[in-house]
Amino acid sequence: MFAHHGSRISYDLTQMVTLTGTVTEFQWQNPHVYIKFDVKDKEGKVTNWGAETYSPVVMTRDGWGRKTLKNGDKVTVTLWPSKIGTPLGFLAKLVHPDGHVTDLSNGAGPE
Amino acid sequence: MRDHSNRPTMLRSVAVLAAVLALSSVSRAQQAAPTQGQRRATAPSPTANLPFDPHDLSGIWRFGGGLGPTNAPPMTPAGKAKYDANIPGLGGPEGRNKPLGNDPMMICDPLGYPRVLSFGAYPMEIVQLPGRIIQFFDFFYVHRTIWMDGRKLPDDPEPTWYGYAIGHWEGDTLVVESNGFNGRAWFANGGYPYSEDSKLEERYKRVDHDTINITMTLTDPTTYTKPWVIAPASMRWAPKEVMREDVCSPSDEKKYLDEIREPAGRKTGQ
Repeated sequence: MFAHHGSRISYDLTQMVTLTGTVTEFQWQNPHVYIKFDVKDKEGKVTNWGAETYSPVVMTRDGWGRKTLKNGDKVTVTLWPSKIGTPLGFLAKLVHPDGHVTDLSNGAGPE
Repeated sequence: MRDHSNRPTMLRSVAVLAAVLALSSVSRAQQAAPTQGQRRATAPSPTANLPFDPHDLSGIWRFGGGLGPTNAPPMTPAGKAKYDANIPGLGGPEGRNKPLGNDPMMICDPLGYPRVLSFGAYPMEIVQLPGRIIQFFDFFYVHRTIWMDGRKLPDDPEPTWYGYAIGHWEGDTLVVESNGFNGRAWFANGGYPYSEDSKLEERYKRVDHDTINITMTLTDPTTYTKPWVIAPASMRWAPKEVMREDVCSPSDEKKYLDEIREPAGRKTGQ
């Protein structure tokens, strides 16, 4: 495992959660890129989720850059969730606003 | 599988995109390997049989292998005490990694040498100049000088994170000796310590156009009861890589810690 900042242990690798929401923050920075996004449930309650992924250097290889996402973008995020139930996870798959997909689910998983 | 059909147009050409994706796939397969030091058993590279000069190590490489904990020798009581105080987030034996540890990396302290070498997701560039070899590391954006001008190791070096290194050729093997480590870095992921008394020997041999094999021995009687012969590793030529700026910014690290790492890993109620 080429690990980086050791957050892997915080996530449940036995399950994935898929959520659709609206981007509230896109952090293109070290140590890990992350996306914050609002998800509305059936009752209309909004929860702000976070999905982290690899560093900018690594994500650049997948064609990502600082303009990959912006606030207000509609996204579908599949993530390995936090073991302790906080609304955070490690990104497994992202359906971008234009419909194209970044699929990291067959890769290393969280770092 | 990845959806390549309508990727963003950030890259200049389809060919470049394909190359980047191919490289990315390889890197992820390597990342997924469950054990360190064995992930070179992949398909042979089409450039592996190109001619090469065994004394020329210049170029961009990616490390694939382990400074793994699997073969660490028994520790001295002082070494064990330091080891027990180090709480890793990654790289330790089962049960040792914790969501919120005290890895120096988490506050952007320098990784030190050789730990910086072990992050194979990031490339390293070797530049050979008269009298010295320089390793540039993408990860943490640092470099290390290996003096090749015949000087000796200092008897009483000023301790530093990356140590003091000299090298010479033995046949086609580059032998690098170093000392002057400050004992504050971790030798490897997993919280393995090493002290100011450490001496490190590395042996680099370019075995084909695309591959440099590395063996490494740490001698640190303060921490380990006998020399630690690190599992053999290798570096693979990475011509499609470029050196990018993977700096560790303390303010960015703090934001990530506060917003992601700590709330994702904190135990309920703490």
